[in-house]
Amino acid sequence: MNALRAIDPATDKGPATGRPAVEIRHLSKWFGDFQVLKDVNLTVRNGERIVICGPSGSGKSTLIRCINHLEAHQEGEVIVNGTELKAGMKNLPALRRDIGMVFQQFNLFPHLTVLENCTLALVRAKKMSKAEAKEIAMRNLEKVRIPEQAEKYPSQLSGGQQQRVAIARALCMSPKIMLFDEPTSALDPEMIKEVLDVMTALACEGMTMLCVTHEMGFAREVADRIIFMDQGEIVEEAPPQKFFGAPEAGRTRRFLDQILH
Amino acid sequence: MSFDLSFAIRIIPQVLEGLGNTILVTVLASFGAALLGFTWEILRRSAKPMRYLMRFVIDFIRSTPVLVQLYFMFFVLPYYGILLPAMFVGIFGLSFYYSGYLAEVFKAGIDAIPRGQYEAAQSLGLSSFDTIVFVITPQMLRNIAAPMGSYFVSILKATPYLAVIAVPEMLGSAFDVASETYRYAEPMLVAGILFLILALTVAQLVQRLEKRLMLSTRR
Ligand SMILES: Nc1ncnc2c1ncn2[C@@H]1O[C@H](COP(=O)(O)OP(=O)(O)OP(=O)(O)O)[C@@H](O)[C@H]1O
Ligand SMILES: [Mg+2]
Repeated sequence: MNALRAIDPATDKGPATGRPAVEIRHLSKWFGDFQVLKDVNLTVRNGERIVICGPSGSGKSTLIRCINHLEAHQEGEVIVNGTELKAGMKNLPALRRDIGMVFQQFNLFPHLTVLENCTLALVRAKKMSKAEAKEIAMRNLEKVRIPEQAEKYPSQLSGGQQQRVAIARALCMSPKIMLFDEPTSALDPEMIKEVLDVMTALACEGMTMLCVTHEMGFAREVADRIIFMDQGEIVEEAPPQKFFGAPEAGRTRRFLDQILH
Repeated sequence: MSFDLSFAIRIIPQVLEGLGNTILVTVLASFGAALLGFTWEILRRSAKPMRYLMRFVIDFIRSTPVLVQLYFMFFVLPYYGILLPAMFVGIFGLSFYYSGYLAEVFKAGIDAIPRGQYEAAQSLGLSSFDTIVFVITPQMLRNIAAPMGSYFVSILKATPYLAVIAVPEMLGSAFDVASETYRYAEPMLVAGILFLILALTVAQLVQRLEKRLMLSTRR
């Protein structure tokens, strides 16, 4: 069974109260003539962990990038923490501070030290003092087990370390939701575990997470629901046990056969 | 007429009379060219009609000879009541001409910054202003330091053009010596060497700056 869920009281409370963290209704998006997302519906409760998988080009990245409006959608609604995202909205930066994002390519700022990467948005966007920001940054760097690298530049770190810094940088903003877009796909195999461990720990704390990943071990252990996308549609949506044990759609089964060799 | 080394040494102070102006024009025109070039590039990145206009303006600036631009400002504009001092025309003229090239340098420097940098800044909730000042500009400076430095050297080497609008500078001083003494080899050699020293100094300064930027912006 799911070892994590057994030890984690956060998920045993049943459905969290209040508004869902993310509500996506009839979301459609086009790049030119090409429809990337086709009438996607998805509700994520607070504290829920969602894993999204699917073949390349199926729209996984686009879907989670719609949640912090890195991509604008043309049809449907995206409501995050109770606020609907619309093109040209003024308080977008403020809304984005509640949504952390971790990218495949880390996207750390190469001209800033690890510590400065973490404090920049605290000081500039949250108007904190340098000392206060540093304290928060160090706390989060400890969380990802990398405080001793605080004064180094990203290029001096391994891929796994860089990705953990990227996670710490996002956590510094105290987000309510964390989005991960293939966080381990650019990493050498021996570094994947250290990043997944940090993500698992985060899940244990009850963070609301949406992760695009093909790490099925992680999905099995951590996810409340696994979503399979193909050609811009959600094809399958099920808890891990059902997803791996008895997937309904033929497309899901073929995909699982492929990635579980 | 054989080369006279002692004569060459004796005329150095006279040639150096133009040094002050050469340095002044180089520094101010470099600064002006960078400022204008950056402005052109920012305007070229804005909304449509302006974008097309700036593409044309930048191409136009680069495709007309610098002498035509200088003549135009100094000899043509007065017909329309715009009388500018020679020194101003010299500095502004070189700034204007080289701004076309520096716009391209800024473009390449900005284009080289990966999209992910903007996306990371946005997803952290940074404002566009903070993103430009704290994320994009420092990386752009690192990218442009070397090519911008070589244009500063080009500006230095273009200062003798100002002779045509009677701005006294180093080559002009050398030429004065030559026409007084009817000896050309020594003044030209002295001026050439002095320009070489200046150019190497500028290159050295730029390299040092680049190194410092690199140290704090390693990839
Ligand atoms: N900015 C864009 N302009 C045009 N087409 C795009 C753009 N971004 C993505 N696409 C296209 O949209 C489709 C979905 O892209 P998306 O990145 O969401 O897929 P994905 O499921 O994340 O794939 P991968 O596993 O390769 O990351 C792809 O066919 C892609 O080529
Ligand atoms: Mg993707």
